[in-house]
Amino acid sequence: MDGNTAGCPVHQGRDDRKSAKVAEASLGVASATRVIKSFAAARDFLRSPKVRQAGATSGQVDLSKPDEISFFFLDGELHRKRRAAVAGLFAPKTIVTRHHQVMNRAIGEITADLQKRGSAPLDELSWQMAVDVAADIVGLTNSDSNVNLATRVRAVLDASITRRKGVLSKLVLGVKMLLAVNSFYKRDMVPAIAARKIQPKDDVLSHLVKENFSKRGMIMECLSYAGAGMMTTREFIVMCAWHMFENQALRERFLSGDDNDQFAILEEILRLEPVAALIQRRVAEPFEGANGASLQEGEVVSVSIREANIDEAITGPCPFELDPDRAKRMKVVGPFMSFGDGPHRCPGAQVAMHETRIFLDRLFRLPGIRLVSVPQVSWNPNINGYELRGAIVACDPA
Amino acid sequence: MPSIRFIAANGSEEVIEASAGISLMENAVANGIEAIRAICGGNAYCGTCRVYVDPAWRAVTGKASELELPMIEASGDTDPSVRLACQIIVTAQLDGLIVRTPVSQE
Repeated sequence: MDGNTAGCPVHQGRDDRKSAKVAEASLGVASATRVIKSFAAARDFLRSPKVRQAGATSGQVDLSKPDEISFFFLDGELHRKRRAAVAGLFAPKTIVTRHHQVMNRAIGEITADLQKRGSAPLDELSWQMAVDVAADIVGLTNSDSNVNLATRVRAVLDASITRRKGVLSKLVLGVKMLLAVNSFYKRDMVPAIAARKIQPKDDVLSHLVKENFSKRGMIMECLSYAGAGMMTTREFIVMCAWHMFENQALRERFLSGDDNDQFAILEEILRLEPVAALIQRRVAEPFEGANGASLQEGEVVSVSIREANIDEAITGPCPFELDPDRAKRMKVVGPFMSFGDGPHRCPGAQVAMHETRIFLDRLFRLPGIRLVSVPQVSWNPNINGYELRGAIVACDPA
Repeated sequence: MPSIRFIAANGSEEVIEASAGISLMENAVANGIEAIRAICGGNAYCGTCRVYVDPAWRAVTGKASELELPMIEASGDTDPSVRLACQIIVTAQLDGLIVRTPVSQE
């Protein structure tokens, strides 16, 4: 609705973003949607009770059976209650007192393995970290292995968000989806459910078992929490590592900084390189936007996270520069719009920040750690986000 | 502008001139009150903007809403005066409000 990308008057427009070119070339906004670009308008819109979830495959979801669909697709009181029931699992105190143990154990195994092998694909290492943490929080801890669990989750998510035209293609995709879900349920959920019926734990799945969720309801909820946690954190860790491998001063500041300074660095990288680029909502009641735009009932509107995050009204000058002191100087909350806003704000935001901090802190302290090859930046059109593949890291042997 | 007093756990005090119409949390962050972290940006999803409302002001601010309770509970904070600052909208009626901040927001 409004533009805001004036060049930086101080540094002649230095642009530290690594995903900008691919995003600009690939970002597909549904043709009929308006796009909100300013931070203030985006926040007002996303926090309004007059808008509804319109992201992912929400148009195909049957809202008349809320117990069988993911919290992601719900709105209002029902959505609030579903989120609130497991909110404690994502609270800062829980992360520090409980999830840090899982994160430290995971990165310990990852770095030990890297030191044995000498080198490894960075996204493989970040994927392992993200999977181990998400699996523990969700309660998918009785699978044959976390690597296989992650593969099955990915297969279901890929099948569920891929769009195909033509009857035959849709049919093939439907069969693929059915097989993927069946495999995930039998190999990952059934043993985990059985274990929790005997001995409940403090995780998402135990809550679902306790509340007698249906099979379908459990699958949907677990896939939402696990899939989001795994897929996005994998990319974010690689992006942060890439920035810091190439910027020695930034890496040294990260390693010598306290927790708050480390978070400030990660949040600033995330501002420049948000993993998800777009959020979509449907207007349920006529809505007057912050900039005076009238939004009509039924209209689907996109919020550009990438644009909101470079809105100079909130970032101050030089919005394309990586400046970890920016948020404190501007007296704003660090990640800006990167985790969304309003009732649907990412529930695992703090988990992602903590696991990324712990992962990179340990990785960068490995003797001889170096980036052998930079990642290729590609675009995943199904989730409108970047993917980073092919980065190789190496270190001295243990 | 409503005047609001923040008293830290160590007893130090800061008085801010707040803007009406936005939350107490946003006013605190804009005025550099470091004890208010607010890492979720004001969505009642982190519980890191907790404040203890002075007894004399509890009737004016009201009790914690249902929206606030999950994160207050997750923080382990059992103080009956606790609120999330992001859910208190500053109005002229809050001129003179006194709130205390916890030792830690985690």
